[in-house]
Amino acid sequence: MLALTVANLKMMARNRHTTLWSLIFPLMLVVVFGLFSNFGGSNPSMAVIDRASTPQSQALGKQLSSISFLRLDPNQQIDAVQSQIESGTLDYLLVIPEGFGAGGQTTPTLTYSSNNSERNQLVAGAISNVIVSSTIAESQADDTSLTALVSTEITVQKVSFFDIALLGLVGLGIMTSSIISVAVKISTYRGQSILKRMLVTPLAIWKYFAAEIASHLLLALVQAAIILAVGVFIFGAQIHGNLAWIFMIVLLGSMVFLNLGFILSAWANTPSAASGMGNVIAMPMLFFAGAFFSTTSLPWILPYVAQALPLTPMLTALREVAIYDAPLWQIWPQLAALGGWIAVTAVVAIKVFRFS
Amino acid sequence: MERAIRVEGLTKCFGGFTAVRDVSFSVQSGEIFGILGPNGAGKTTTLEIVEGLLKPTHGQVNVLGLDIARDSAQVKARIGVQLQSSAYYDYLNLREILALIGSFYPKRISPDMLLEQVGLQDKATHRVRQLSGGQQQRFTVAASLVNDPELVILDEPTTGLDPQARRNIWNLIREINQRNVTVVLTTHYMEEAESLCHRLAIMDRGKVVATDSPQNLISNLKSTYTVSLMSLDPLTEDQLLSLNGAVSSVQIQENNTYVIRLSDIPQALDSVLEGIVHNGIRLEHLEVVPVTLEDVFLELTGSELRD
Repeated sequence: MLALTVANLKMMARNRHTTLWSLIFPLMLVVVFGLFSNFGGSNPSMAVIDRASTPQSQALGKQLSSISFLRLDPNQQIDAVQSQIESGTLDYLLVIPEGFGAGGQTTPTLTYSSNNSERNQLVAGAISNVIVSSTIAESQADDTSLTALVSTEITVQKVSFFDIALLGLVGLGIMTSSIISVAVKISTYRGQSILKRMLVTPLAIWKYFAAEIASHLLLALVQAAIILAVGVFIFGAQIHGNLAWIFMIVLLGSMVFLNLGFILSAWANTPSAASGMGNVIAMPMLFFAGAFFSTTSLPWILPYVAQALPLTPMLTALREVAIYDAPLWQIWPQLAALGGWIAVTAVVAIKVFRFS
Repeated sequence: MERAIRVEGLTKCFGGFTAVRDVSFSVQSGEIFGILGPNGAGKTTTLEIVEGLLKPTHGQVNVLGLDIARDSAQVKARIGVQLQSSAYYDYLNLREILALIGSFYPKRISPDMLLEQVGLQDKATHRVRQLSGGQQQRFTVAASLVNDPELVILDEPTTGLDPQARRNIWNLIREINQRNVTVVLTTHYMEEAESLCHRLAIMDRGKVVATDSPQNLISNLKSTYTVSLMSLDPLTEDQLLSLNGAVSSVQIQENNTYVIRLSDIPQALDSVLEGIVHNGIRLEHLEVVPVTLEDVFLELTGSELRD
């Protein structure tokens, strides 16, 4: 069995075309996502809650909209806004308190997350300038010793969209290479009677599969390591959790997808059919499992479908561990779901697999 | 003599189709045994049951004294198999493939020795696809010898090869057999069966129609010669009937060609040639050949063996 595993790895190394391309595809996306999130980012957004509703506060609101790099959101409930800041969908919240501009000592409050401190300083400074100039204009007072703006920082784990997308890309790489490479390889071997050739030797069938799976799992680990390394060292992604657990989740997910590959290989009569079928399964799953975009806003039953896909627990577990440093017991539902998928797909694979 | 293979009452159905119907034969230790028949005769199915790849619907198969249904792992360890048109890994070289296949067996021969046996020692680091057709076929024979088997089963080892490469394979098979390895092979080439095999089973439409040595099969035939003639005009019924008595069968082909198989009475050839002259049959072409396995096959099955 060891000889077969080694031979498999040797063949993967020599079959550079297929192996490399299966790695390059997710890596290319890492680069694309990395470039967009580092250099292409959009303007920060701000919500203004005006509790004063005085002419002064309304004037301030107008002036704020003149800050060209801020996108103003219409007013919202304060607690909803707060959680939006925590999750990163909203960047700034400015609360203009009651009695603002009426001569009292009321100071607007700016709330933001700890995510982007350079930008926070810039935005706070700009808003503070606007407030100062507007209050001076309105009240003709020159008491500039008063604090113009109070800042509240909500400390959050520093998470960027790229961090989240990077783990989606790990999922993408593992899923496509596991499903498609196994399906293509097995249907090729079957077409060439290589599987049959194995069967006329005394090699136990389980050893054959164990060697195939072992070599693919090793490939999955290498692939995940390369994708994460490029994301972290070249594009500055952050990984907070335990790497060993991340790789364990990669292995569990990979097993599900290898099984799916074995199942597809039973239905595909030619290697190119296998490749096409693999894409049909992998590509929609990629988006429905939320590899890059949240699936909660999908219509109809689709959010539930998304929850039922095997990639979903893999990605959730990866993100919980990698981004929020979650301990293993906290992601047991995802691990259990992956375990269930492994068991079910293995049973189906054994049932439908054919050698010739 | 000990029996290497004993097949009794073997039947194999795939759904409603019966590929092999009540087949029985046995292979003696140390012989080269051929299964001859056209495509679709059930040769490969029979072999795949003997190799343990397929389960029989009915019947008993013993290989090297072991029941293939019960002891298939033991049988597989002691036999060597070359499958019909099986490819090998694209990304391993010859030496690595032989080492890999060898690793599945308890007993194995070194890859370099095997390559030397089949004359491919200088191709050890080549890939299979870099070999010529004949070399590939020799390599698959080498791969069937990795475990130093007592019995080698070769499924159409020479199909698709040119005559020179075919002869090379024949010599290789004879060499293997001289080392006291029993060889079973399938073929649809008469010439191959006649010159290579000690004994033959002739299969047609899932049945074994005869088992014997090629010489016995030929000498048991009712006819001795075949006369093949092409006439300028189609023969009349009278002309054909006049040849009767010395003829066992006449086969009418295109372009006024007639294949006449003579019966085994002593003056058969004389009387047919006389008949041709007396009936004024105008000839374009005439050929007289001793009967071959082709005629045996025709007589046994009523149809010609085609590639």
